[in-house]
Formats: sequence, C-alpha cells, structure tokens
Amino acid sequence: MKGAGGQGSPVPFLVPALLIVFAVLIFPIVFSFVVSLFDWPLSAGGGERHFVGAGNYVDLVQEKEFWNSLKLQLGFIFIAIPLELLLGLSAALLLNREFVGGKVVRALILLPVFFLPVVSGMTWRFMLQPRYGALNNFLLAIGTPEITWLGHPSFAYAAIIVQDIWRMWPFVFMLLYAGLAGIPTDVLEAAEIDGATFWKRLFRVILPLMYPTILTALLLRIIDALRIFSEVYVMTEGGPGMATTLFSLYTHRQAFGYMKVGMSSAMAVFLLVISIVFAVTLVRKNMSLEKLEDQGGNR
Amino acid sequence: MTLANRRKSITAAVMFFAVLLLIVELYPIFITLLNGFRRDIVILSGQKFALSQLTTDSYMLVFKNTQMMKAMGNSIVVGLLSTLLSVGVGAMAAYGISRFKFRGRNALAYSFLVFRMLPQMSLVVALYMMFRFVGLRDTIFGITLAHSSFNVPYVIWMLIPFFTAVDKSYEEAAMVDGCSRFTLFRLVFLPLVAPGLVVAAVFAFINSWNEFLYALILTGTKAMTAPVAISSLIGGDTLTWGQMCAASTVMLTPVFVFTLAMQRFLIRGVSAGGVKG
Repeated sequence: MKGAGGQGSPVPFLVPALLIVFAVLIFPIVFSFVVSLFDWPLSAGGGERHFVGAGNYVDLVQEKEFWNSLKLQLGFIFIAIPLELLLGLSAALLLNREFVGGKVVRALILLPVFFLPVVSGMTWRFMLQPRYGALNNFLLAIGTPEITWLGHPSFAYAAIIVQDIWRMWPFVFMLLYAGLAGIPTDVLEAAEIDGATFWKRLFRVILPLMYPTILTALLLRIIDALRIFSEVYVMTEGGPGMATTLFSLYTHRQAFGYMKVGMSSAMAVFLLVISIVFAVTLVRKNMSLEKLEDQGGNR
Repeated sequence: MTLANRRKSITAAVMFFAVLLLIVELYPIFITLLNGFRRDIVILSGQKFALSQLTTDSYMLVFKNTQMMKAMGNSIVVGLLSTLLSVGVGAMAAYGISRFKFRGRNALAYSFLVFRMLPQMSLVVALYMMFRFVGLRDTIFGITLAHSSFNVPYVIWMLIPFFTAVDKSYEEAAMVDGCSRFTLFRLVFLPLVAPGLVVAAVFAFINSWNEFLYALILTGTKAMTAPVAISSLIGGDTLTWGQMCAASTVMLTPVFVFTLAMQRFLIRGVSAGGVKG
C-alpha cells in the first residue's frame, strides 16, 4: 500500500466525517425506510399515522401515475444518454487534432455543463415560449404557425430531453476526449500505416481501448439522470398534466402535493436502491482506490 | 488529391463543425446574458433586438429586490460555511483513509463515493421531517448541514490522491522528532496538500452554490438561497425574464470564472460526483 503510514489510530481523524455522514445520510435513509412503512400524512401537527407494512409499496405498484413516472424516467434515460454518448464521442474524435483555436473551442464547449441547472431549465422555458421565445420567432420567420411547445405533452417531454442533451453531452465529450488523449499515438499511427480504414480503426482499436472511459461516462450519466429534478421542475413543473413528471418530480408531488409522506418515502427507497446498484457498479468497475492513489496529486 | 491537401480540407471541415457546435452550445447562454440587459416589458412584447434596448434596469431591479439580495447573501454564507465544514472534516478523513492501514479501509473509502452519488430526492423528505422536528428547517445551519451531505464525501474523494502523493520521508522525519499524528497532519500535511484543498474548496462551493432541491424543501423565507429565489421570478403571473436573466448572470459569473480557471482539474472534479445541483 503506497504511502500508508501504518502506526497510530485513524479513528480521531474519521470521527467528524462519520458523524456528519450519520446525521445527514445514514439516519435519513433509515428514517425514509421506516416512514415508508406507515400511512403518514404531512401536516404541521403530526397527523394520524398508521403502520401499514408494505402497504405503500403495494399501493404504488397499483398506481397508474407511478408507472407513468417510471416510464417517463426510463424513456428519458434511454433516449437522452445514448444521444449524449454519440455526440460526445463524435465530437471527441472530431476535435482530437490541432487546429487554430482548438483549445478555445474545447474549453468553451464545456460551459453548458457548468450552467446552473435551474438557470438552464428557465432559459429553455424562455426559448420555448409563444410570441417572444426564440424557437417560435424562428418558426414565424420561415412562415410556419407557432407552437406552444411546453403546453403540448409530447413536445414538452421532447423539450426536457433536448435540454438535458444540450447541457450534458459536453460532459461526456470532456471525459471521452481525455480518454482518447490517453491512447498512445503510436498505436493509432500503427493502425493508420497498416492501411486500416477509419471505421476499422474506430471499432478495432479506438473503441476497445476507450471502453473503460465510455463505461465510466455511461454510468455517471445514468446515476445523474436518475436524480434529475431541478431543471424539469422549473421548466415544466412536471406538466402539462403529468407529461413530464419524472420519478423525482412524482416523489416530490407525493410528499408536498398530495401530502402523503409514506408513499413518497416508499418511492424514495425505490430510487435509492436503484441508484445504489448503479453507483456500486461504477465504483467497483472503474473507480478503484488504487487507481485513484496512483494519480497522485499530479492531475 | 494529395495527402497534404486532404489534411487541409479535413481541418477546414473540422473547424466548420467546431464553430457550428459552439454556436448551438453557447446560444442559450448568450441570450441569458443578453436578456439581463433588456427590460422585462421589451422581452415580453417580443420586440426584435436593437442596441438601443440595452439598459441596466433589470440589474437595478434585482439589486433593489431585498428578498433576492438576502437570498444571494444566504447563498454566499451557506456556500462558504459548507465549504469550510466539508474541507475541514473531509481533509481529516482523507488523511485518515490514505495514511493509515486499517481493516475496512477500502469499504469505507468506497462507501463515501457511493454516498456522493445518492439522489437528493431520496433523502430530502426524511431530512425535511427531521429538520422540522429539531427546529433546523429554514435555518442557515440546517441548509449548510444538508449541503455537507454531498460535499463531505465529495471532498474526501477529491483529496485522497493528494494525501497519498505525499512522500513517506516527511512523515518518518516528523515522527522521529516526536510529532503526534495530529501535529503531523496540521503542520506537515495540510501545507503540502494546499493545492488540493483549494481545488476541493472551489468545487465544494460550486456544488453548494448550484444546489436547488434541498434549498427548495428545507428553507423558507429566512434561509432561502439564490437558485430558489431566482426560480420564483418566473411562474404564474410573474414573468420577469429580464430580472431572471440578470440575477442568473450574477450567479453564473463566479462559476464560469472558476471553470475556465480550473481546466486542469475539471475531469477529476466532475468524475468524483458531478458539479450538479
């Protein structure tokens, strides 16, 4: 083990962090699980609580709205993330060469990733407004009638997906570009000299070598997409109707719209389990402590 | 076509696509910046852009909006406090993990990383009820504590490589001099990992600065942070786009400055759990 000193006890150094983790992570997780077993209304006075066991979970799977939110959530992940990977990979391959202003382009293209999610949601909401939104101005200019984008269920759903793709493909690009730069140039040149076509080089050399990076990007994006909330909340508030009520938005609505904390906690536990599965997969496969330690402070 | 010519035309095509990508990616950011300098009424009436519309009226309205100013103040205070707390506590834990051998070391390190990736939505309802019970709801301390739920694990994971990189000889020399582990940590390690502390602090601050869901649920009028205050500028009958864009620009400026200044650390910064609200 590199650098580990060995003697003495690490406990005093770990205790403060563990206390915080217990107070704001472990305890709320356990508490969520407990609440999910109760019919627990959200009211200032506490309200009547009844132990219902797995009742909330049973109610959930019988609820049409629950399946709707799950379907929207999965659709969001299955549409947005492959496109983000594709765009990110194409841009990484395209921009992986020296040209005038290349550095500036690669830096500026990352700005959307750091655009505050709330601001991004509101800016997209603005651009999609009738009368003064940019997209409708464009439609009017080319002579087509304008559309109330966020008032239409399918368009609103498409809009939240486009918003996410716009903001997050540069994130994928950033990871894949670094991965691509990590491939030794002589490997690539050897393949080129051998006369391999671009597609052959891509599928036989580049993609296999980049597999760990692509997997990391994929898992990070899935974990991130599972918890999407603020952008959509400010963009559509889950509407029109329930058309953009993704999983987190429905969990929120259960607690603070319908005042059913028990049901909301059952959904929270469900989401937690899925997220832990993906997070543990990611950590096991691609984020070993040894690898992290080898990076040292140089990167 | 000769090889050199082919190369040249490929480069030209790449530059063309690069510019196209940049336009698409920067357009929404650009109109946010631009509309901050236009008045609400001008935006809502759908007038075509003209230079004569440029004014700082929206900024003036934002700066005169006491609720917004209070929320921005809260954001700064919560960001600084939660950064201080998580860097302090996180540096100690990262030191404990990287410079000691103990059972369960790997498991502990990995669980911190997994904790960073949990969705806020699955914790916030429980936090809401806990905070209401102990009186932490709508307090600066409460929201600071909530933000450390993602910042402490984040800082630990960011700092481990910096602590591991410190050479053993420093430690051994200090131990021979009879330093305690804590003095060693304070006087030897902290100065050596200072660059790491700065990077971790910047990202921790941005994490807190951007955070929306905890702030929405766990704060009210007293401890509300800026992202929630900005979101309340739009909705229902209030459509103050100009002010929204002006306030957003104020929020975005430090984030963009840090991002462009910290290019070197971006990848590690975001892989450790994203700079996401």
